[in-house]
Amino acid sequence: MTAILELRILPPLAIGRLGAATEPMDNYTAELDPDEPLAPRVLVPAPTLRVDRTSGEIVDDEVPEELRFTDGHGKVKPVAPFVEVWALTEELVLRPLTMELLRANKVEPKDVRWRTRVGNHKIERRTYDLKDRVDADTGWFTDHGEHALTGRCANFLADKTLPLGHVRYIKPTAEYPGIRLRFTPAGGYVYGSGGMIGEHDPNVVDALYDSTKGTWRGHVDKPGDPRLTIPNSIYAGDDGPHGTWISRGYLDDECDGLVDVELTVGGRKLTAYGRIGAGPPAYAPDSVPVRTIADELDQALFGPRAGDHDTPEDAHKVAEEVLRRALESVRLMNTAVMNGNTVDGRVDAASTMVRQDSADTGRTFEPIMAPSLVDTAAVFALHQDVLAALRSGTAPWFADVLRDYDEVGDLTAKGRRKMPALMRGADGRSLALTRRQVDLVRKAARQEIFRQGQGADESGGPG
Amino acid sequence: MRSRVHRHMASVLPELFDEQPAAMAYLAVAGPLGEAEKKPVLPPEFNWRDYTVMLLHVAAEIEHSLMVQYLFAAYSMGGPQVPDELRKKVRGWQEIILGIAKEEMGHLVTVQNLLTSLGGPINLDREDYPWGSDFYPFPFTLRRLTRESLAAYVVAESPAKWTGDLAKKVKTDAEVATGKTVNRVGELYGRIDAILGNREHIPDELFHAETLPYQASWDEWGRGYTRGERGQDAGNVETVKSPELLVFGVFSRDSARKALHEIGEQGEAVGADEQDETSHFKRFLGIYAELAELPQGKQDLVARPIAENPVTAHRLNESVVVQYAARTVTTNPITDPGTALWGHLFNLRYRMLLTDISHAFRLAGPLDNGGVLTGRGALVHRAFAEMYNLRALAGRLVELPLDKDKPDGTRAGPPFEMPYSLELPDRDRDRWLLQRDLVEASRLLTDQLLETNPACVGDPYVVALRESDRRASEQIEHILDRKGCTG
Repeated sequence: MTAILELRILPPLAIGRLGAATEPMDNYTAELDPDEPLAPRVLVPAPTLRVDRTSGEIVDDEVPEELRFTDGHGKVKPVAPFVEVWALTEELVLRPLTMELLRANKVEPKDVRWRTRVGNHKIERRTYDLKDRVDADTGWFTDHGEHALTGRCANFLADKTLPLGHVRYIKPTAEYPGIRLRFTPAGGYVYGSGGMIGEHDPNVVDALYDSTKGTWRGHVDKPGDPRLTIPNSIYAGDDGPHGTWISRGYLDDECDGLVDVELTVGGRKLTAYGRIGAGPPAYAPDSVPVRTIADELDQALFGPRAGDHDTPEDAHKVAEEVLRRALESVRLMNTAVMNGNTVDGRVDAASTMVRQDSADTGRTFEPIMAPSLVDTAAVFALHQDVLAALRSGTAPWFADVLRDYDEVGDLTAKGRRKMPALMRGADGRSLALTRRQVDLVRKAARQEIFRQGQGADESGGPG
Repeated sequence: MRSRVHRHMASVLPELFDEQPAAMAYLAVAGPLGEAEKKPVLPPEFNWRDYTVMLLHVAAEIEHSLMVQYLFAAYSMGGPQVPDELRKKVRGWQEIILGIAKEEMGHLVTVQNLLTSLGGPINLDREDYPWGSDFYPFPFTLRRLTRESLAAYVVAESPAKWTGDLAKKVKTDAEVATGKTVNRVGELYGRIDAILGNREHIPDELFHAETLPYQASWDEWGRGYTRGERGQDAGNVETVKSPELLVFGVFSRDSARKALHEIGEQGEAVGADEQDETSHFKRFLGIYAELAELPQGKQDLVARPIAENPVTAHRLNESVVVQYAARTVTTNPITDPGTALWGHLFNLRYRMLLTDISHAFRLAGPLDNGGVLTGRGALVHRAFAEMYNLRALAGRLVELPLDKDKPDGTRAGPPFEMPYSLELPDRDRDRWLLQRDLVEASRLLTDQLLETNPACVGDPYVVALRESDRRASEQIEHILDRKGCTG
């Protein structure tokens, strides 16, 4: 017998994407084209688990012929991730929890219990009123039907709830015997506050928030409050008196929270939990931002410094990946505008780091790079050329122009021009890569010259 | 080029040419600043402005030559033969020398600004090797880094009054490398400064402030390096500070003299504190001192075994030997056909770099914070991209064999051969046609590498470079379709 000792939910964090289409998005990977290494990544369809809406069973895992991000009628397909239950067995091996493993432990799929609790605390983050929290709880369930994530809030209008999507315990079958739960996020709608704009506002699908109970509609971030986000006032609003920014009382249907699973084996109750969340749809799915949650997790796991377990090859790959992502970011930017160049005679033509620097510090509005250099096509070509040179296996030489984590507020010309440039971090100052990303690039820069056969004549390059 | 300049120098000061070794003659006439008896003398066939332009041309060639030799030495460093315990040090030394080469690039560009301000043509030319000159610190030779070659750089950048036991030892080592007394570069700037400082020689109206939009600016060329205070930041290597790139716009007599003074000081630390670590002299000397402490056997392991003065196939069967005083300088033809292709590609990208810089000087930058942008920014970026390509190609060439019959013998190294001409066409459209020619030539070479050289099939760098060239051609065609960029 393979006795189950502990349970896990894998992946421990699954992020979905909002979408109102009935069918979820198909699976895909983003690959490099070996013949055009400077071109954008190519999206390649991958095996996709298709769930029967009635039975809740997986019916096949075929590779779709083509990828479509909408249903053809203007609705975006949601990204609906699966989470899987894995078991640590007496052999101290982590393996998928399947019907067979359940049977071996004298339990059945119906003995697996699930519960999902998610929330959207965006309003409370602004008003600091606990009654503005929106929370949903499915309670424990063992069936295979859809369980709506119904967001409830003390300050909502009577009988109004916020749909945050649903979860479903996938019914295991002989062909797909794994124990899984699927999270399907909400439609990606904007909701309003009742009483004043409500149903007349073309931006919202329904009025949920009761403006007579809560303060969200009409809320103003108060200057000087140390709890404010930086920058503050990042909500839909309108200009008010004395330079204030007045909230329209909107809310969206994003959420995040916990999935719990429970199974009693041999009298022992085993539990595990994982995290789920939903973000907006990807409108540039072939691009990766220079700094992602994955980079943060990597840093949390391995620390801010490159270690002995990070080989020079790994470090070089990180350097190349950073460059590729920078290229992908430039592709999506109007660098001349982002740099703060004058546009048809207009100064301060858009929300940029230049505006941020001027607003926060009272410094003169001054472009970041030399205005002659920031033609988008030229900057894009430069990044491509850097990436090309890096593929020779040559040591990255740009580590000294990467912005360190403690330089984000450096407003000297040199400080503002460090890489990544023209972009803002969550603290309102210039964006920096993670300390670990920077250190890995530096590690590659230090070590590459001692390698032999960086070229195709031996190793075929850094790959 | 050398002989044409030489004619004028010799005609000015025949007595100095007679009394001293030829190599010292020209520099001796300038003398340290402030020595009244060594005032500049105007040679026949010149007026002062024209003479200044000629001296600036010589200065540009010196900066260019030093930069290339420093780069070659830096690229030679490393390789699997470097003992583990030396690697950190060697990487640090390489970073220092690369930093100095970058600063020489700043000097070269600043000299072009001086030329532009005076209304003279810019000069990115230099002689191919092997060659020597009466006006240059030492015969131009591409050498791997050794204690002796390093000694030559120390002496070339040394201050006027550098004496003592260490100075003697370094100078002796330098003579081993160069076969002659190594001259100092700083005196040339002293000479030019003495002319610029005299209103009678160069009146105020000869400094053309309106050329500033055409001149290189630190904002365009600085690339995040420090301006003013070197040493604030750790660079690629923790213990090595990032370079200080000096690029000065020239719009008046004062700005011209300040530019000369600053780039002269960055070389020699003239009058600077003895402990000041920022000059090229001090930095080279620091490496020399550390290298000299190692036993000879270990010193030899610091750089890869690469050939001196590698040259490409057009001289395939011709090894040029030139005698300089006590030393023979030899070129080493790259006879391995695969390596030769890489060498040609290197030379071509070097030409593209020089063409981009030169072309950028023909186009004005915007006068305010934006407006319509010319192709200037793209050319500056392309120039940097070519520097990165040269680094990548050099990295390959220091690993590839020189001789087709000795696959495990001496490695090749980057040849840095000059193109037949750096002249740009007068019309802007024709300049972009030249750009297109160069990109097409590169595509022919990359195709050849990928299709005929089995070792290069699928090489990630060559594939990427070919794609980059394809995209560059598209941009150039775009410009040509609109009948040229403005400017």
